[in-house]
Amino acid sequence: MTPEQLALRDTVRSLLDKHSDIRAAIEAPHGYDKDLWARLCEIGVLPIPEHHGGSGAGLAETLVALEELGRTLTPAPLLSSTLAAQALLVSGNDEACGRLLPRIAGGTVAALALPWATGDHVTTAPLDHPEVTTAVSDGPLHATVHHVLDGDHAEILLVTDGISLYEVDPGQPGVTREHTPAVDLTRRLATIRLTDATATRLGLWSSQVRDTALAALCAEQVGAAARALELTVEYTKTRVQFGRPIGSFQALKHRMADMHVLVETARSAARAATDEVSAAVAKVYCAEAFCKVAAEMIQLHGGIAITWEHDAHLYFKRAHGSAQLFGSPQDHIDRLSRSAHR
Amino acid sequence: MDLSLDSSTLEFQAEVRSWLAAHVRPLSSMDTLQGFEEHRAWERLLASARLSVVSWPEEFGGRDLGLLQWLIFEEEYHAAGAPGRVSQNGIFLLAPTLFSHGTDEQRARILPPMARGDEVWAQAWSEPEAGSDLASLRSTAVRRDGGWLLRGQKTWSSRAAFADRAFGLFRTSAEGRHRGLTYLMFDLRADGVTVRPINQLDGEPGFAEIFLDDVFVPDHDVIGEVGDGWRVAMSTAGNERGLSLRSPGRFVAAAGRLVELYRKNPDPALRDRVVDAWIGAQAYRLHTFGSLANPPAGPAASVTKVFWSELDVALHETAMDLLGEVAPGWRDGWLFSLAGPIYAGTNEIQRNVIAERILGLPR
Repeated sequence: MTPEQLALRDTVRSLLDKHSDIRAAIEAPHGYDKDLWARLCEIGVLPIPEHHGGSGAGLAETLVALEELGRTLTPAPLLSSTLAAQALLVSGNDEACGRLLPRIAGGTVAALALPWATGDHVTTAPLDHPEVTTAVSDGPLHATVHHVLDGDHAEILLVTDGISLYEVDPGQPGVTREHTPAVDLTRRLATIRLTDATATRLGLWSSQVRDTALAALCAEQVGAAARALELTVEYTKTRVQFGRPIGSFQALKHRMADMHVLVETARSAARAATDEVSAAVAKVYCAEAFCKVAAEMIQLHGGIAITWEHDAHLYFKRAHGSAQLFGSPQDHIDRLSRSAHR
Repeated sequence: MDLSLDSSTLEFQAEVRSWLAAHVRPLSSMDTLQGFEEHRAWERLLASARLSVVSWPEEFGGRDLGLLQWLIFEEEYHAAGAPGRVSQNGIFLLAPTLFSHGTDEQRARILPPMARGDEVWAQAWSEPEAGSDLASLRSTAVRRDGGWLLRGQKTWSSRAAFADRAFGLFRTSAEGRHRGLTYLMFDLRADGVTVRPINQLDGEPGFAEIFLDDVFVPDHDVIGEVGDGWRVAMSTAGNERGLSLRSPGRFVAAAGRLVELYRKNPDPALRDRVVDAWIGAQAYRLHTFGSLANPPAGPAASVTKVFWSELDVALHETAMDLLGEVAPGWRDGWLFSLAGPIYAGTNEIQRNVIAERILGLPR
C-alpha cells in the first residue's frame, strides 16, 4: 500500500471504530447509518474523479475502504455506489457522468442491476454467452434481477443487459422494487422487476465492471476474514481452561495457523484480481477462505458464539451471503472451466 | 494478472524459453547413479548458458537478475518440463547462507563450482533423535589444530548417496541447546565418512544416512561464528520453506498438466477438485507475484510452506484419482508430494511458528 492508502485505511478504521454500530444500523431505515455514510463520502472513499465532483480516489483506494468496512461488517452503500460509478465511467457517456457522478460522490445511493443469477432474465454476459446480441437502443426494458445491492432504496438506478448500460427512473410505474431480507442481516438486497420500463441507453456495458465487482467483494471478504481471525486469536488468549489460555493448546493453535494461511493467500488473490480470470479465481478463493475462517471462528469461540449477542454469527452469515453474491463459487468454477483455463 | 513485464524481462523470458525448447530432454531419476550424473551434466549445460543461477552476481556465474526475473525463469523452466535440480540443496539453501553469513573467501571458493554442478551438495540436518526437535542434535565437532573433528550420525540427507559435499549443524559446546551449535561444511569423500543410502518409497536412494567418525574439517569451512550456527541456519531456513525451493512455476505447470489430463479423461465427479487445484496454483502464483517487494521470509515463509506442500499433495492425488493406478508421469511426483509436508520443517512445526510468532499465541 502507498503511504496515502495507509493513511486512508487508518482514517476509515478509526471512524468505524468510533461510530460503526452494526446492530443499530441493521434496525435503521434501509439498513445503514446515514450519518456514517455521509462521513465516508466526505473522506472520499468512492472512486470518482475530481472533475466529476469526487475526491479523485481510484479504485485501489476504494478497495482499501471496502476492506475496512468488511472488517467491521458495517452496512453501507459503498459497494453498490462504487459499481454504479464504475459502470458510468466505463460507459464513456460524459453527459451522464457529469450529471450523476457528482450526486453519487455526495452520497446519493446508486444501484446497479447486474444479472448474476441464472434465474435472472437478462443474463447475456459475453464470457458466458458470446452468441447473444441485443439491440442497442433505448428501452423499454423487461427484466427481473435478484440480489441487487441497495436496489430498493437507491435514488439512481442503472441496469445492464450485458451489452448496454441503461439509466432507469426508479419512480416510474414500470419499476417494482422489493427489499428481500437474506440470511446476512448486514447486507441490503432487493429484487427489481422492470415491465415495459422506460430506459435511457447510456452506452456500452463492459464486463470489466463485473471483474471490478468481484475484486471489490473480495477486498471486503478479506477484511472480514482477517478480523474474524483477530477476534478469535484475542478470545483464545484470554479464555482460560485447565489453568491456561486455550490459545496455548496446539490443537487450537494449528487451526488458527490454517486460518492465517487462508487469510494471507486470500489477501494476495484479492489484490491481484485485475482481469477476468484472476477476478474469478479470487472470487472462488476468497469466498471459500472466508466461509472456512468464519466457521472456525464459531468453533474456536465455543458456546458464546452460538449466542445472538456475539458477533460471530454475523461474520458467518456475511461469509455465506458474500459467497453467493455476484455468482457462487460454483458459478465461477463453471465459468473458469468453460473459458478453457487460459 | 497483468505483470507488465519490461522489455529486457520479456527478452530474457524469450531467451529462456527457446533455450529450454532446444535443450530439454528426459533424464533418468537423479536418485540413481546414472541419473545423478545425467543431472550433473544438465547443470553444466545450464551453467554454460549462464542459466543455472540467474539471480546470483555475475562473478559467481549468475546474471545479477532480480526476484521477478527469477520467478519468470522458474515458470519457463517448469512449463518446459525441465529436469529437477540436483544442485538444489546447494543453490537454494547453502548459497543464500553464504551470501548472508559467509566470507568473501568462502563465496569465491564454493559458489562457482556449485553453479557449474562441479560440486553437488547434500544437506545434513536431521539425526535419528533430532527431527522436528532439530536443536536436540548430538553430532559433535571437537576442536583440533586448524579445524574440527566431526563425530556422529546424520540422516534423511537428500542427495547424499551421490553428492560431493554436505553442510549441517554440529554441537561445539554443551552450553545451551541452541547456543552450542556451529554451521559446518564437509567433504562426503573425506576419511571417516560412511554414506549408507536409504531407498525412498519409489525404491531409489533419494537420501542417505551419514556416519561421521573423526572427520577433519578445516576452520575455513565454518560458516559464521562458532556457536552461532542455529541463528545462521534459521536466518535462511525461510529459503527452504518459502519461495526458492518451490516457486509457483512448478505448481502452475503441474496444474496445467492436470487440466490437460482431465480433458483427456473427463470424470465429472472430479472436476471440482481439478479446478480447485488449478485455482490453488493460481492463488499461490498471485500470492508470490503480489509480494515481490516484500518476499516471504522468516515466519511468513511458514505460510508459504504449508500452502505449497498441501497444494502439491492435493494436485497429485487428483491426478492419481483421474488415472487410477496406472499413472505414468505422475507416480513419482505423487509419491514425492507426500514428503512435502515433512521436509524443510514439518507442517506441524510451521503451524507452531505461525501461531506463536505471527499470531502471538502463548507457548
